[in-house]
Amino acid sequence: MPDRDAPPDPIDTAYVQAEALLGDDAAHAARRARVLAAVARETMTPPAASSPPWPRSARRPGGWLAAASVVGLSVFLATRLYSPAPRPPPAPPPAAATLPAPQAPQAIATPPPAAPAPPQASAPRAVSTAPPKAAPAPAPSPPETAPNVPPPPPMNIAPVEKPRPSAPAPAPPPVVATAERNAPAAAANEAGSLAGRARDEAVQSLAPMAAMRASPARPPADDAARLRAAAAAGRTAEVEALLAQGVPVDAADPDGETALMKSVQADHPAAAAVLRRHGASLDRKNHGGASARDMAKAKGDAELNGAIGVVR
Amino acid sequence: MEPEIEEDADLLRAHGAGDPRAFARLYDRYDRPCFQFIRRTLGAAHADAAEDVHQETWVSIAKNAAAFDARKAAFPAWLFTIARHKVWDHFRRQKVAVLASAGDEEAMMAPDLGPTPLEQVESRELAQKLVSAVEALPLAQRETFVMFAHAGLSLDEIAHATGVGVETAKSRLRYARATLRQALAGERSAHA
Repeated sequence: MPDRDAPPDPIDTAYVQAEALLGDDAAHAARRARVLAAVARETMTPPAASSPPWPRSARRPGGWLAAASVVGLSVFLATRLYSPAPRPPPAPPPAAATLPAPQAPQAIATPPPAAPAPPQASAPRAVSTAPPKAAPAPAPSPPETAPNVPPPPPMNIAPVEKPRPSAPAPAPPPVVATAERNAPAAAANEAGSLAGRARDEAVQSLAPMAAMRASPARPPADDAARLRAAAAAGRTAEVEALLAQGVPVDAADPDGETALMKSVQADHPAAAAVLRRHGASLDRKNHGGASARDMAKAKGDAELNGAIGVVR
Repeated sequence: MEPEIEEDADLLRAHGAGDPRAFARLYDRYDRPCFQFIRRTLGAAHADAAEDVHQETWVSIAKNAAAFDARKAAFPAWLFTIARHKVWDHFRRQKVAVLASAGDEEAMMAPDLGPTPLEQVESRELAQKLVSAVEALPLAQRETFVMFAHAGLSLDEIAHATGVGVETAKSRLRYARATLRQALAGERSAHA
Protein backbone atom coordinates (compact mmCIF):
# COMPACT_ATOMS: atom_id res chain seq x y z
CA MET A 1 0.00 0.00 0.00
CA PRO A 2 1.85 3.04 -1.19
CA ASP A 3 1.72 5.97 1.14
CA ARG A 4 4.07 8.42 2.70
CA ASP A 5 4.75 6.22 5.71
CA ALA A 6 6.01 3.35 3.57
CA PRO A 7 9.64 3.32 2.42
CA PRO A 8 10.04 5.03 -0.92
CA ASP A 9 9.62 2.88 -3.95
CA PRO A 10 12.90 2.47 -5.89
CA ILE A 11 11.30 3.79 -9.05
CA ASP A 12 10.23 6.93 -7.19
CA THR A 13 13.77 7.41 -5.95
CA ALA A 14 15.16 6.79 -9.41
CA TYR A 15 12.83 9.39 -10.85
CA VAL A 16 13.81 12.01 -8.27
CA GLN A 17 17.47 11.31 -9.00
CA ALA A 18 16.85 11.54 -12.70
CA GLU A 19 15.20 14.94 -12.33
CA ALA A 20 18.06 16.11 -10.14
CA LEU A 21 20.57 14.89 -12.69
CA LEU A 22 18.82 16.62 -15.54
CA GLY A 23 18.15 19.78 -13.57
CA ASP A 24 19.65 22.94 -14.95
CA ASP A 25 20.76 25.30 -12.22
CA ALA A 26 21.20 28.23 -14.57
CA ALA A 27 17.71 27.77 -15.95
CA HIS A 28 16.43 27.38 -12.43
CA ALA A 29 18.00 30.67 -11.34
CA ALA A 30 16.63 32.49 -14.38
CA ARG A 31 13.21 31.03 -13.78
CA ARG A 32 13.30 32.00 -10.14
CA ALA A 33 14.16 35.60 -10.97
CA ARG A 34 11.47 35.78 -13.61
CA VAL A 35 8.74 34.26 -11.48
CA LEU A 36 9.49 36.35 -8.41
CA ALA A 37 9.59 39.50 -10.54
CA ALA A 38 6.24 38.59 -12.03
CA VAL A 39 4.82 37.89 -8.60
CA ALA A 40 6.12 41.20 -7.27
CA ARG A 41 4.68 43.03 -10.22
CA GLU A 42 1.33 41.32 -10.04
CA THR A 43 0.94 41.73 -6.33
CA MET A 44 2.05 45.34 -6.58
CA THR A 45 -0.55 46.03 -9.22
CA PRO A 46 -3.30 46.73 -6.72
CA PRO A 47 -1.83 50.19 -6.21
CA ALA A 48 -1.23 50.44 -9.92
CA ALA A 49 -4.59 48.96 -10.66
CA SER A 50 -6.11 51.40 -8.27
CA SER A 51 -4.87 54.07 -10.63
CA PRO A 52 -7.97 53.67 -12.78
CA PRO A 53 -10.06 54.98 -9.90
CA TRP A 54 -7.72 57.92 -9.77
CA PRO A 55 -9.40 59.99 -12.39
CA ARG A 56 -12.71 59.20 -10.81
CA SER A 57 -11.66 60.32 -7.38
CA ALA A 58 -10.03 63.37 -8.86
CA ARG A 59 -13.15 64.25 -10.68
CA ARG A 60 -14.90 65.65 -7.68
CA PRO A 61 -12.09 67.81 -6.36
CA GLY A 62 -11.28 68.80 -9.92
CA GLY A 63 -14.86 69.85 -10.57
CA TRP A 64 -15.00 71.91 -7.45
CA LEU A 65 -11.67 73.42 -8.25
CA ALA A 66 -12.81 74.43 -11.70
CA ALA A 67 -16.07 75.90 -10.45
CA ALA A 68 -14.38 77.69 -7.59
CA SER A 69 -11.70 79.15 -9.81
CA VAL A 70 -14.22 80.41 -12.37
CA VAL A 71 -16.40 82.00 -9.72
CA GLY A 72 -13.40 83.39 -7.88
CA LEU A 73 -11.94 84.89 -11.00
CA SER A 74 -15.18 86.52 -12.05
CA VAL A 75 -15.81 87.95 -8.59
CA PHE A 76 -12.25 89.16 -8.32
CA LEU A 77 -12.36 90.87 -11.68
CA ALA A 78 -15.73 92.41 -11.02
CA THR A 79 -14.77 93.82 -7.65
CA ARG A 80 -11.39 94.90 -8.88
CA LEU A 81 -12.85 96.81 -11.79
CA TYR A 82 -15.78 98.40 -10.08
CA SER A 83 -14.89 98.94 -6.49
CA PRO A 84 -13.11 102.25 -7.13
CA ALA A 85 -16.19 103.57 -8.82
CA PRO A 86 -18.12 104.58 -5.73
CA ARG A 87 -15.21 106.65 -4.47
CA PRO A 88 -16.05 109.81 -6.31
CA PRO A 89 -19.18 110.81 -4.41
CA PRO A 90 -18.21 114.35 -3.36
CA ALA A 91 -16.26 115.59 -6.31
CA PRO A 92 -17.87 114.85 -9.62
CA PRO A 93 -14.85 115.48 -11.86
CA PRO A 94 -12.52 113.14 -10.02
CA ALA A 95 -15.27 110.61 -9.87
CA ALA A 96 -15.54 110.77 -13.56
CA ALA A 97 -11.83 110.48 -13.81
CA THR A 98 -11.79 107.41 -11.70
CA LEU A 99 -14.30 105.80 -13.92
CA PRO A 100 -12.55 104.11 -16.73
CA ALA A 101 -15.57 103.87 -18.91
CA PRO A 102 -16.73 106.76 -21.03
CA GLN A 103 -20.18 106.35 -19.56
CA ALA A 104 -19.09 108.07 -16.39
CA PRO A 105 -19.15 111.62 -17.72
CA GLN A 106 -22.44 110.92 -19.34
CA ALA A 107 -23.82 109.93 -16.00
CA ILE A 108 -22.47 113.02 -14.33
CA ALA A 109 -24.35 115.09 -16.78
CA THR A 110 -27.60 113.94 -15.32
CA PRO A 111 -29.67 116.54 -13.40
CA PRO A 112 -29.88 117.00 -9.62
CA PRO A 113 -27.97 114.68 -7.31
CA ALA A 114 -26.84 112.91 -10.35
CA ALA A 115 -23.17 113.45 -9.71
CA PRO A 116 -22.75 110.50 -7.44
CA ALA A 117 -25.40 108.60 -9.22
CA PRO A 118 -23.51 107.38 -12.25
CA PRO A 119 -20.81 105.56 -10.43
CA GLN A 120 -23.38 104.10 -8.14
CA ALA A 121 -25.48 103.17 -11.03
CA SER A 122 -22.66 101.24 -12.50
CA ALA A 123 -22.32 99.47 -9.23
CA PRO A 124 -25.74 97.97 -9.18
CA ARG A 125 -24.95 96.12 -12.34
CA ALA A 126 -22.01 94.59 -10.74
CA VAL A 127 -24.19 93.83 -7.85
CA SER A 128 -26.87 92.46 -10.04
CA THR A 129 -24.68 89.45 -10.64
CA ALA A 130 -24.37 89.23 -6.89
CA PRO A 131 -27.25 88.51 -4.57
CA PRO A 132 -30.23 90.78 -5.00
CA LYS A 133 -30.42 90.74 -1.24
CA ALA A 134 -27.90 93.54 -1.21
CA ALA A 135 -30.24 95.94 -2.85
CA PRO A 136 -32.91 95.81 -0.19
CA ALA A 137 -30.34 96.30 2.50
CA PRO A 138 -29.29 99.79 1.53
CA ALA A 139 -32.86 100.76 0.86
CA PRO A 140 -33.70 101.62 4.45
CA SER A 141 -30.57 103.68 4.81
CA PRO A 142 -30.98 107.46 4.37
CA PRO A 143 -30.66 108.52 0.77
CA GLU A 144 -28.30 111.44 0.68
CA THR A 145 -25.94 110.56 3.46
CA ALA A 146 -25.02 107.29 1.98
CA PRO A 147 -22.93 108.61 -0.90
CA ASN A 148 -20.92 110.84 1.40
CA VAL A 149 -19.97 108.18 3.77
CA PRO A 150 -19.00 105.34 1.61
CA PRO A 151 -18.07 102.19 3.42
CA PRO A 152 -16.01 100.20 0.97
CA PRO A 153 -17.84 97.04 0.32
CA PRO A 154 -21.44 98.08 0.79
CA MET A 155 -20.63 101.25 -1.02
CA ASN A 156 -21.23 99.53 -4.28
CA ILE A 157 -24.70 98.85 -3.20
CA ALA A 158 -25.68 101.79 -1.07
CA PRO A 159 -25.45 104.36 -3.81
CA VAL A 160 -27.85 102.36 -5.84
CA GLU A 161 -30.61 103.30 -3.54
CA LYS A 162 -29.70 106.92 -3.51
CA PRO A 163 -31.34 107.77 -6.79
CA ARG A 164 -34.51 106.23 -5.54
CA PRO A 165 -35.36 109.05 -3.19
CA SER A 166 -34.57 111.52 -5.90
CA ALA A 167 -37.27 109.92 -7.97
CA PRO A 168 -39.53 108.77 -5.20
CA ALA A 169 -42.93 107.83 -6.39
CA PRO A 170 -42.60 105.47 -9.33
CA ALA A 171 -40.70 102.28 -9.54
CA PRO A 172 -37.28 102.88 -8.07
CA PRO A 173 -35.07 100.96 -10.42
CA PRO A 174 -36.80 102.00 -13.60
CA VAL A 175 -36.75 105.65 -12.52
CA VAL A 176 -33.07 105.70 -12.10
CA ALA A 177 -32.84 103.88 -15.29
CA THR A 178 -33.33 106.93 -17.43
CA ALA A 179 -30.13 108.37 -18.75
CA GLU A 180 -28.01 106.93 -16.05
CA ARG A 181 -29.06 103.44 -16.72
CA ASN A 182 -27.41 103.33 -20.07
CA ALA A 183 -24.03 103.98 -18.54
CA PRO A 184 -24.27 101.27 -15.95
CA ALA A 185 -25.67 98.98 -18.53
CA ALA A 186 -22.65 99.45 -20.73
CA ALA A 187 -20.34 99.12 -17.79
CA ALA A 188 -22.19 96.09 -16.70
CA ASN A 189 -21.91 94.63 -20.15
CA GLU A 190 -18.22 95.21 -20.04
CA ALA A 191 -18.02 93.70 -16.61
CA GLY A 192 -20.06 90.81 -17.83
CA SER A 193 -17.90 90.32 -20.85
CA LEU A 194 -14.76 90.56 -18.77
CA ALA A 195 -16.07 88.12 -16.30
CA GLY A 196 -17.19 85.91 -19.14
CA ARG A 197 -13.79 86.13 -20.74
CA ALA A 198 -12.14 85.33 -17.45
CA ARG A 199 -14.43 82.38 -17.06
CA ASP A 200 -13.72 81.22 -20.59
CA GLU A 201 -10.01 81.49 -19.98
CA ALA A 202 -10.33 79.57 -16.76
CA VAL A 203 -12.38 76.93 -18.48
CA GLN A 204 -9.87 76.74 -21.32
CA SER A 205 -7.02 76.35 -18.90
CA LEU A 206 -8.89 73.51 -17.29
CA ALA A 207 -9.82 71.92 -20.58
CA PRO A 208 -6.85 69.57 -20.78
CA MET A 209 -7.59 68.34 -17.29
CA ALA A 210 -11.20 67.83 -18.21
CA ALA A 211 -10.17 66.00 -21.34
CA MET A 212 -7.93 63.74 -19.30
CA ARG A 213 -10.77 63.07 -16.95
CA ALA A 214 -13.18 62.44 -19.74
CA SER A 215 -11.02 59.68 -21.23
CA PRO A 216 -9.55 57.74 -18.34
CA ALA A 217 -9.03 54.64 -20.48
CA ARG A 218 -6.88 56.42 -23.00
CA PRO A 219 -3.58 56.66 -21.13
CA PRO A 220 -3.22 52.90 -20.53
CA ALA A 221 -3.90 52.17 -24.19
CA ASP A 222 -1.43 54.84 -25.20
CA ASP A 223 1.12 53.46 -22.79
CA ALA A 224 0.68 49.97 -24.15
CA ALA A 225 1.19 51.33 -27.66
CA ARG A 226 4.26 53.18 -26.46
CA LEU A 227 5.56 49.99 -24.90
CA ARG A 228 5.17 48.13 -28.18
CA ALA A 229 6.77 50.98 -30.09
CA ALA A 230 9.68 51.15 -27.65
CA ALA A 231 10.11 47.39 -27.86
CA ALA A 232 10.04 47.48 -31.65
CA ALA A 233 12.64 50.23 -31.66
CA GLY A 234 14.80 48.54 -29.05
CA ARG A 235 14.51 51.41 -26.58
CA THR A 236 15.23 49.26 -23.58
CA ALA A 237 15.23 52.06 -21.01
CA GLU A 238 11.82 53.22 -22.12
CA VAL A 239 10.55 49.65 -22.04
CA GLU A 240 11.84 49.32 -18.46
CA ALA A 241 10.29 52.64 -17.47
CA LEU A 242 6.90 51.82 -18.92
CA LEU A 243 6.86 48.40 -17.30
CA ALA A 244 7.82 50.00 -14.02
CA GLN A 245 4.79 52.24 -14.39
CA GLY A 246 2.63 49.15 -14.54
CA VAL A 247 1.91 49.02 -18.25
CA PRO A 248 0.64 45.49 -18.98
CA VAL A 249 3.52 43.57 -20.47
CA ASP A 250 1.37 41.46 -22.78
CA ALA A 251 -0.99 44.15 -24.01
CA ALA A 252 -1.60 43.37 -27.65
CA ASP A 253 -2.30 45.60 -30.63
CA PRO A 254 -5.27 45.05 -32.95
CA ASP A 255 -3.32 42.28 -34.67
CA GLY A 256 -2.79 40.51 -31.39
CA GLU A 257 0.90 41.36 -31.33
CA THR A 258 2.60 42.02 -28.01
CA ALA A 259 5.65 44.09 -27.20
CA LEU A 260 7.70 40.91 -26.99
CA MET A 261 6.66 39.91 -30.48
CA LYS A 262 7.61 43.37 -31.73
CA SER A 263 11.03 43.20 -30.12
CA VAL A 264 11.62 39.70 -31.49
CA GLN A 265 10.54 40.68 -34.98
CA ALA A 266 12.78 43.73 -34.90
CA ASP A 267 15.59 41.61 -33.43
CA HIS A 268 16.20 43.55 -30.23
CA PRO A 269 17.43 40.94 -27.72
CA ALA A 270 17.95 43.43 -24.89
CA ALA A 271 14.42 44.76 -25.06
CA ALA A 272 13.08 41.23 -25.43
CA ALA A 273 15.03 40.11 -22.38
CA VAL A 274 13.60 42.96 -20.32
CA LEU A 275 10.10 42.03 -21.39
CA ARG A 276 10.71 38.40 -20.56
CA ARG A 277 12.07 39.36 -17.16
CA HIS A 278 8.80 41.12 -16.56
CA GLY A 279 6.84 38.02 -17.42
CA ALA A 280 6.04 38.55 -21.08
CA SER A 281 4.52 35.40 -22.52
CA LEU A 282 6.41 33.49 -25.15
CA ASP A 283 3.40 31.44 -26.10
CA ARG A 284 0.68 33.98 -26.49
CA LYS A 285 -0.32 33.98 -30.13
CA ASN A 286 -1.15 36.83 -32.45
CA HIS A 287 -4.17 36.74 -34.71
CA GLY A 288 -2.07 34.91 -37.27
CA GLY A 289 -1.46 32.11 -34.81
CA ALA A 290 2.23 32.86 -34.27
CA SER A 291 3.79 33.29 -30.86
CA ALA A 292 6.94 35.18 -29.89
CA ARG A 293 8.59 31.79 -29.54
CA ASP A 294 7.65 30.87 -33.11
CA MET A 295 8.99 34.17 -34.33
CA ALA A 296 12.24 33.77 -32.45
CA LYS A 297 12.71 30.24 -33.74
CA ALA A 298 12.06 31.42 -37.26
CA LYS A 299 14.65 34.14 -36.85
CA GLY A 300 17.24 31.66 -35.64
CA ASP A 301 19.22 34.34 -33.89
CA ALA A 302 21.12 32.64 -31.09
CA GLU A 303 21.51 35.81 -29.07
CA LEU A 304 17.86 36.63 -29.34
CA ASN A 305 16.85 33.09 -28.48
CA GLY A 306 19.17 33.10 -25.52
CA ALA A 307 17.80 36.41 -24.30
CA ILE A 308 14.26 35.18 -24.18
CA GLY A 309 15.05 31.63 -23.10
CA VAL A 310 13.96 29.84 -26.23
CA VAL A 311 17.14 27.80 -26.46
CA ARG A 312 16.48 24.62 -24.63
CA MET B 1 21.32 28.10 16.88
CA GLU B 2 19.31 26.61 14.09
CA PRO B 3 16.82 29.09 12.67
CA GLU B 4 13.24 28.14 13.24
CA ILE B 5 11.62 26.52 10.26
CA GLU B 6 8.56 28.45 9.32
CA GLU B 7 5.42 26.71 8.24
CA ASP B 8 4.28 27.23 4.68
CA ALA B 9 1.12 28.86 5.95
CA ASP B 10 3.17 31.31 8.03
CA LEU B 11 5.20 32.28 5.01
CA LEU B 12 2.08 32.76 2.99
CA ARG B 13 0.62 34.93 5.73
CA ALA B 14 3.81 36.95 5.92
CA HIS B 15 3.65 37.43 2.18
CA GLY B 16 0.10 38.67 2.55
CA ALA B 17 1.30 41.09 5.20
CA GLY B 18 3.83 42.50 2.78
CA ASP B 19 7.01 40.60 3.62
CA PRO B 20 8.73 40.26 0.24
CA ARG B 21 11.18 37.59 1.40
CA ALA B 22 8.53 35.27 2.71
CA PHE B 23 7.21 34.45 -0.72
CA ALA B 24 10.70 33.86 -2.08
CA ARG B 25 11.34 31.36 0.68
CA LEU B 26 8.12 29.58 -0.01
CA TYR B 27 8.90 29.55 -3.69
CA ASP B 28 12.33 28.08 -3.07
CA ARG B 29 10.82 25.20 -1.17
CA TYR B 30 8.57 24.09 -3.98
CA ASP B 31 9.98 25.56 -7.15
CA ARG B 32 11.63 22.44 -8.49
CA PRO B 33 8.92 19.87 -7.76
CA CYS B 34 6.29 22.28 -8.96
CA PHE B 35 8.11 23.03 -12.18
CA GLN B 36 8.88 19.39 -12.85
CA PHE B 37 5.29 18.47 -12.18
CA ILE B 38 4.13 21.04 -14.70
CA ARG B 39 6.74 20.09 -17.22
CA ARG B 40 6.10 16.37 -17.00
CA THR B 41 2.37 16.79 -16.98
CA LEU B 42 2.52 18.98 -20.04
CA GLY B 43 4.66 16.34 -21.71
CA ALA B 44 7.26 16.72 -24.39
CA ALA B 45 4.83 18.19 -26.90
CA HIS B 46 4.07 21.16 -24.65
CA ALA B 47 7.36 21.48 -22.83
CA ASP B 48 7.81 24.97 -24.23
CA ALA B 49 4.85 26.19 -22.24
CA ALA B 50 6.17 24.94 -18.90
CA GLU B 51 7.84 28.21 -17.95
CA ASP B 52 4.72 30.23 -18.57
CA VAL B 53 2.43 27.80 -16.81
CA HIS B 54 4.82 27.66 -13.88
CA GLN B 55 4.85 31.44 -13.65
CA GLU B 56 1.07 31.62 -13.90
CA THR B 57 0.84 29.13 -11.06
CA TRP B 58 3.00 31.14 -8.70
CA VAL B 59 1.38 34.41 -9.59
CA SER B 60 -1.95 32.79 -8.84
CA ILE B 61 -0.60 31.54 -5.50
CA ALA B 62 0.63 35.02 -4.64
CA LYS B 63 -2.61 36.69 -5.59
CA ASN B 64 -4.81 34.20 -3.78
CA ALA B 65 -2.67 33.82 -0.68
CA ALA B 66 -5.47 35.16 1.48
CA ALA B 67 -7.75 32.38 0.31
CA PHE B 68 -5.46 29.63 1.54
CA ASP B 69 -6.86 27.79 4.52
CA ALA B 70 -4.32 25.53 6.23
CA ARG B 71 -7.12 23.69 8.02
CA LYS B 72 -8.53 22.44 4.74
CA ALA B 73 -5.35 21.35 3.01
CA ALA B 74 -1.62 21.49 3.30
CA PHE B 75 0.12 24.06 1.16
CA PRO B 76 1.66 21.53 -1.26
CA ALA B 77 -1.75 20.08 -1.98
CA TRP B 78 -3.09 23.55 -2.68
CA LEU B 79 -0.09 24.44 -4.83
CA PHE B 80 -0.32 21.32 -6.95
CA THR B 81 -4.05 21.66 -7.32
CA ILE B 82 -3.50 25.11 -8.77
CA ALA B 83 -0.60 23.92 -10.91
CA ARG B 84 -2.72 21.12 -12.26
CA HIS B 85 -5.52 23.53 -13.11
CA LYS B 86 -3.06 25.73 -14.94
CA VAL B 87 -1.84 22.79 -16.96
CA TRP B 88 -5.37 21.87 -17.90
CA ASP B 89 -6.10 25.48 -18.73
CA HIS B 90 -3.17 25.34 -21.10
CA PHE B 91 -4.48 22.19 -22.72
CA ARG B 92 -7.87 23.82 -23.09
CA ARG B 93 -6.33 26.93 -24.65
CA GLN B 94 -4.37 24.76 -27.04
CA LYS B 95 -7.45 22.68 -27.71
CA VAL B 96 -5.65 19.53 -26.69
CA ALA B 97 -7.93 16.56 -26.31
CA VAL B 98 -6.74 14.72 -23.24
CA LEU B 99 -7.82 11.13 -23.41
CA ALA B 100 -6.76 10.34 -19.90
CA SER B 101 -9.30 7.64 -19.21
CA ALA B 102 -8.55 5.65 -22.35
CA GLY B 103 -4.84 5.82 -21.59
CA ASP B 104 -5.50 4.76 -18.05
CA GLU B 105 -7.39 1.69 -19.12
CA GLU B 106 -4.66 0.71 -21.49
CA ALA B 107 -1.97 1.21 -18.91
CA MET B 108 -3.86 -0.76 -16.32
CA MET B 109 -3.36 -3.81 -18.51
CA ALA B 110 0.37 -3.64 -17.95
CA PRO B 111 1.54 -6.29 -15.50
CA ASP B 112 3.46 -5.14 -12.48
CA LEU B 113 6.79 -6.91 -12.43
CA GLY B 114 7.47 -5.87 -8.83
CA PRO B 115 10.25 -3.66 -7.60
CA THR B 116 13.57 -4.06 -9.32
CA PRO B 117 16.76 -2.85 -7.72
CA LEU B 118 17.17 0.65 -9.00
CA GLU B 119 19.74 2.03 -6.64
CA GLN B 120 20.31 5.07 -8.67
CA VAL B 121 20.23 6.43 -12.10
CA GLU B 122 23.81 6.09 -13.23
CA SER B 123 23.87 8.07 -16.35
CA ARG B 124 22.31 11.13 -17.80
CA GLU B 125 21.10 9.04 -20.68
CA LEU B 126 19.26 6.68 -18.43
CA ALA B 127 17.83 9.60 -16.49
CA GLN B 128 16.52 11.01 -19.73
CA LYS B 129 14.96 7.66 -20.60
CA LEU B 130 13.20 7.50 -17.28
CA VAL B 131 11.91 11.03 -17.57
CA SER B 132 10.73 10.31 -21.08
CA ALA B 133 8.97 7.23 -19.80
CA VAL B 134 7.25 9.37 -17.19
CA GLU B 135 6.16 11.78 -19.87
CA ALA B 136 4.80 8.89 -21.88
CA LEU B 137 2.52 7.79 -19.07
CA PRO B 138 -1.19 8.48 -19.40
CA LEU B 139 -1.87 11.93 -18.03
CA ALA B 140 -3.74 10.85 -14.91
CA GLN B 141 -1.02 8.38 -13.96
CA ARG B 142 1.70 10.84 -14.80
CA GLU B 143 0.38 13.58 -12.55
CA THR B 144 -0.30 11.13 -9.77
CA PHE B 145 3.18 9.67 -9.99
CA VAL B 146 4.98 13.02 -10.08
CA MET B 147 2.91 14.42 -7.24
CA PHE B 148 3.70 11.39 -5.15
CA ALA B 149 7.31 10.70 -6.08
CA HIS B 150 8.68 14.16 -6.52
CA ALA B 151 6.35 16.54 -4.72
CA GLY B 152 5.83 14.33 -1.72
CA LEU B 153 2.08 14.59 -1.61
CA SER B 154 0.15 11.87 0.19
CA LEU B 155 -2.44 9.78 -1.61
CA ASP B 156 -5.16 11.67 0.20
CA GLU B 157 -3.78 14.95 -1.03
CA ILE B 158 -3.39 13.65 -4.56
CA ALA B 159 -6.92 12.32 -4.51
CA HIS B 160 -8.13 15.72 -3.37
CA ALA B 161 -6.06 17.60 -5.92
CA THR B 162 -7.12 15.42 -8.82
CA GLY B 163 -10.71 15.06 -7.78
CA VAL B 164 -10.79 11.29 -7.46
CA GLY B 165 -11.04 8.79 -4.66
CA VAL B 166 -8.00 7.62 -2.75
CA GLU B 167 -8.31 4.12 -4.21
CA THR B 168 -8.25 5.49 -7.74
CA ALA B 169 -5.18 7.56 -6.93
CA LYS B 170 -3.54 4.48 -5.46
CA SER B 171 -4.30 2.44 -8.58
CA ARG B 172 -2.93 5.13 -10.83
CA LEU B 173 0.27 5.23 -8.86
CA ARG B 174 0.63 1.49 -8.93
CA TYR B 175 0.16 1.26 -12.66
CA ALA B 176 2.43 4.19 -13.28
CA ARG B 177 5.21 2.49 -11.36
CA ALA B 178 4.63 -0.75 -13.20
CA THR B 179 4.89 0.95 -16.55
CA LEU B 180 8.04 2.76 -15.54
CA ARG B 181 9.68 -0.40 -14.26
CA GLN B 182 8.94 -2.10 -17.52
CA ALA B 183 10.37 0.77 -19.47
CA LEU B 184 13.47 0.89 -17.35
CA ALA B 185 13.92 -2.88 -17.35
CA GLY B 186 13.72 -2.90 -21.12
CA GLU B 187 16.27 -0.15 -21.25
CA ARG B 188 18.64 -2.00 -18.96
CA SER B 189 18.33 -5.29 -20.77
CA ALA B 190 19.01 -3.45 -24.01
CA HIS B 191 22.18 -2.06 -22.50
CA ALA B 192 23.23 -5.39 -20.99
